[in-house]
Order: sequence, then C-alpha cells, then structure tokens
Amino acid sequence: MKEKVLQKLNLLADAAKYDVSCSSSGSSRSSSGGLGTAKSAGVCHSFTEDGRCISLLKILYTNHCIYDCAYCVNRRSNDKPRASFTPDELADLTVNFYRRNYIEGLFLSSGVLRNPDYTMEQLNAVARKLRYGHSYNGYIHMKSIPGADPLLVHEAGLLADRLSVNIEIPTEKQLQILAPEKNFSSVFTPMNQISQGVAENKAERRKSGKAPRFAPAGQSTQLIVGASPETDYTILKLASGLYHHQKLKRVYYSGFVPVNQHDNRLPALHNPPLVRENRLYQADWLMRFYHFSYDEILDEQHTQLDEQIDPKLAWALRNPHFFPVDLDKASYEEILRVPGIGVRSAKIITANRRFGRITFSHLKRMGVALKRAKYFILCRELPAVTAKLYPEQIRRRLVNNNIQSGAGVQLSLF
Amino acid sequence: MQIGYHECVYTFDGSFEGFLTVVFRAYDDKREPEAIISLDARAQLPMGEIVHVETSMHLAARVRNGIVERSDQNNLRLLHVTFLAESTETNVLLWRYLKKLFKEAPGSYFRNMLDAEVYELIRTARRVKREAHRFQGFVRFQRTRDNMYVAAIDPDHDVVKLLSSHFRARFSDRHWLIYDTRRKYGIYYDMKSVQEVTMAAQVFDLNTGYIKKQARSMDEDYYRTLWQHYYDAINIVERKNHRQMRSSMPGRYWKYLPERNT
Repeated sequence: MKEKVLQKLNLLADAAKYDVSCSSSGSSRSSSGGLGTAKSAGVCHSFTEDGRCISLLKILYTNHCIYDCAYCVNRRSNDKPRASFTPDELADLTVNFYRRNYIEGLFLSSGVLRNPDYTMEQLNAVARKLRYGHSYNGYIHMKSIPGADPLLVHEAGLLADRLSVNIEIPTEKQLQILAPEKNFSSVFTPMNQISQGVAENKAERRKSGKAPRFAPAGQSTQLIVGASPETDYTILKLASGLYHHQKLKRVYYSGFVPVNQHDNRLPALHNPPLVRENRLYQADWLMRFYHFSYDEILDEQHTQLDEQIDPKLAWALRNPHFFPVDLDKASYEEILRVPGIGVRSAKIITANRRFGRITFSHLKRMGVALKRAKYFILCRELPAVTAKLYPEQIRRRLVNNNIQSGAGVQLSLF
Repeated sequence: MQIGYHECVYTFDGSFEGFLTVVFRAYDDKREPEAIISLDARAQLPMGEIVHVETSMHLAARVRNGIVERSDQNNLRLLHVTFLAESTETNVLLWRYLKKLFKEAPGSYFRNMLDAEVYELIRTARRVKREAHRFQGFVRFQRTRDNMYVAAIDPDHDVVKLLSSHFRARFSDRHWLIYDTRRKYGIYYDMKSVQEVTMAAQVFDLNTGYIKKQARSMDEDYYRTLWQHYYDAINIVERKNHRQMRSSMPGRYWKYLPERNT
C-alpha cells in the first residue's frame, strides 16, 4: 500500500511539473480551530534544482488522458505507465505534508479520465475530503477541467482558493493544429464562468460577510511559449485582455520543453526558450505593477521583445523625449518609468523627497540600478555627458556591460 | 566582532529590555558607547573600560514609552526587529539613532529615509523580517510518538520569536515546538499559548535536525521519504539553474531540510 503511494507520487508529480504556477498568495482563510491558514502573501517552502519555488504540492490526480495534445507529456498516444490516486490518498498526503510544513497547500491538476465531468468530480472529492474530512483551511489551487459541467465548476470554486484553466496555446488556430480535440470556447467558457462567479461573490460578500467564498484568490492561466509561432506582441495582447476582462490574477508563461518524441507540428528545440520566457515575465510585470499598457511595450512594428535588453529599457530607448526625469519633482508614475528604478525605490523617493534633494548616494543606498538609471534622470552629481547620449550609444554601453557580467540570462522574477 | 582597545564598552544580557536599559544608562551617564555587546553573543570582549548593565524592566519600559512618544508604536516594533539582527554594529547604530530621537524635538526625524542611519536601520529590519519570512517556509516539523510536532532551526538572526503568530494560527490543533539550536531556546505551543522554552538535553541531531528514531512517530520516516521523492520528481532537469536555487535557499539553511541534507 505504502509502496504504491510512493510510485504514484513519483509518477504524478513528475507529470505535473510542467505547470509553472506556484503561487500561494492572494487568499485569506483563518483556521477557526481546524488545521491551517491561507495568507495574502505566499510562502515558498523549498526550491528545486531548476531554481523554482515549491509552495504547493503540485500533483496530478491521474495521468490517464482521453486527449492527444502534441505538447503534452500525458497525451493518450504516449506509451507511458499510468496511475490515479484516490481522493483519500491525496487528502492524506496533503495533510501530512502540510502538518510537517513541507508545503503551503495543494495544487491539484489532472489528465482527463473517462470524461471532463467524471474528472472534475474526482478533484472536487479530494477538496471535499480536505475541507470537511480534515477540517483543512490551507490553500487549494484546482484546475477547472475544460468541458466540465458548470455546476461542478461552481462547487470547485466554493472549495478552492484559486481556480485555473490553462489556455496553453495563445491562438485558436494554433491550438487546433496542436490539440485537435480542443478549441478556445472549451477554455474560455469555464474561465468566463469563474470570473463572473468571483465578481458576483465579491458583491454578495459586500452585502453579507457570511456569504461563502468563491475562489477568493481568483484565477490564473498558463501560456506555452515557443511551441507555436505567435509573436510576443500577440501573447502580451492576449495577457492584457485576460487581466482586464477576465480579471485574472496571474498569467504564467512556460518556455516550451519538448517532452515527446519529435512531432512535425512542433519546432525542434534544443533548449527551452528561457530568455524569451524571462522577457515576457518582465513585460508582464510592467503591465501589472508599472502602469504600462501592452501596446507601449510592443506594437505592430515591434512584435518581439528584445532579448538583449529588458522591456523597460527598450521602451525608454524608443521614447527619449520622456527623459530625463527630475526625481525631485516628477510624479510617481513618471519615476516608475525610469529603467533601473523599481516600485520600492520609486515609493521611497516620492515619500522622502520632502526631507531634501535626492542624491546619487541616496539612490545607491536604495539599490537603484544606477548603471541603467543614470542615463535617464536629472541629478546634479552626474557628469553632464551621460544625459546627452543618444539611445544607440546608451544601448551599446549597456549591452556590452551585460555581456561582460554574464547577466544575459537572469531569471529572478518568481 | 572588533577586538582591540575601546574607550567605552557596555555589556548586557542579550535581551531587548537589557539593551534598552543600556540606552538609558549611557544617556544618563552622558557616555558614548563604542560597542554594546551581548554577553550571549559568544564573542570575545575587547580591551578597555567595560560597563556591565543589569537589565531593569522599569528603565526599559521608560525607554520604550519615550520611543513611542517621540515616534509611534510601529517604529518601536521596527527597532525591536532591527535589534534581533544581533550585531554589535547594529546595537551601536540603534544607540546613536535613539540618542538623536530623544535629543531632537519630536518630529518626523524617524521617518526620514534619506538619513543614512535611519535607512540602515530600516534595511537591517528588512533583512531580519526577510529571514523570518523564509523560515515560515523552511521550518520542517517531525511528528513524535506522542503526536507533537517538533522542528530545529538555525537562522542567522534571532527570528524564532517572530514565527510565533504564524505557526500558532496555522497549527492551532496540535502541540508544537520550534527550537533554535544555536541560541538554545525555542517557542512551544501547548494549544493554549506560545511560550519561550529551553531544553536540558540535546534532542535534535545537530547535523540533520532529526530527533532520535525512538522518539519519532511510526509514520515519520515514510512521509519524509515521500517528500524527498516529491522534491526530486518536481524538478525539471532541462531547466537546471543552481545559482537561482542557491540565491533563494542559501546553502547554510540546508542542513535541517530533509530534501537537501541527504
């Protein structure tokens, strides 16, 4: 019995690892005598050798699947060992990991066993066991299985903190080439149902704090990058729409890792496109925390993110008329646009400049990346020449700098 | 730790109250301490005039009230967190800061982050808080025969106290203990309240943080093995990035993490 659980764990964790979402944030549950809490700031419990955080027990209920998607390791045509947990096994595993503080909660995904309704019902059964059988108030992230009955999706929302439906392929045309049994409506129908559910629940809870919560940590999705020919512009435009219309909490970008034997429909890649993935996350950050819109970052003429420089610097170099920014007078939004100045530094600057002039050494202390910022700010201590450089000269200096320090690949956004 | 001649050194018992008493005494004596050393700090004392200050709850409370009067409750909390960094340099920095706070007219001095000393204090507090936040994740409980959950930690700063409310809220239905093996004390929750405790015997293996096999519950090794397997299975070999892993989870924290210490 114990041997079997170990085998299943190995198999079904391995099969779940390509889902990049790890976040355990955005919720709030108190334990009220039972086990566990969910907090608004997530907690990382460990880090794997690939540098990713382990927050949740990320696992599949089953790796059986009725679908045959080209990019997926669990597709039906792969000759692989298959297994399924039972709701009891998974609930027991989650609680015992949680009590030892190995994890912040459960991330439950699944292949599609028999049909979407049956699979969704199994996932709900796991969550019910946890919430009612074990009085568990920790974090639960559940996949909503495309095609499942709306009533089952609704029940999932009442049990979980966060729900997600993965779009995977950013355009419907490409999705249908790579996953002929899927289409955009199978993805967007549950996604829209969830976003509507979250909005209605918010309104209900404003009227009565006793109304049960529906997916209090909202929903997220994942896009695979590099498996299909979409441009970064298409991807960011899609992500921006998801943030605005479906009110998604997060869009994850997963650099395509070829997991199956070569398929003519997919590109032959030797390494996952990690730099591109990182640039997309940086652009995503600009949209969520820096007040950039997708069409400022890229447009019909510039459709790919520059791999050599980050998207904020790229925007600054294309918009020299915006600079230099005077740190003693400029608004918070303007300061946020300066390459090398982050959210925290921008807040410190605007909150403290009433005490005196912002100097070079202040910026250094705050951890501003002066290497980049110095070309874009007005500051008395700077040699006059820096502010007069042309964008091309700045770019050349910064790119050479990057290559020297080996900072070409920097993946520190999680 | 600076060894060498100092004109004026104060020592105290290592508690925050002890430190605040030093502040009161030094201020009262009109002295300028060059080092304020915790006798807990397992450090060599420098040469020179050494004044040991006995902790006085009464004087500490006066200093506390003075801080709140001249700034606010949040600032007092921030200074306490800064103090938990446990560094002699930070202690002197705190002293200089408090002296200014008390000398100058009540105002917004304490909020001015353009001031190098204020900024350094805030940065130190941030470092301590970051480590406390990390340990919300890095604590690894083991279940004992009598259904208690115990964990060993060895943080850089004295953060165990800062973990109390988080774990109390999360695991309110079991007894648990988080023990700092370097500072030789811990926090223990008995399903009513959290208390600071010390232990007479060495319970944890100092290389692994494990408790003795006879003390572990029957299922302990089973779940630990499952966790170790999970840790390996969830890694994507094609994306190996050791540098990133180490910067998020520095090697000095690995010894008590069963997924890394095998």
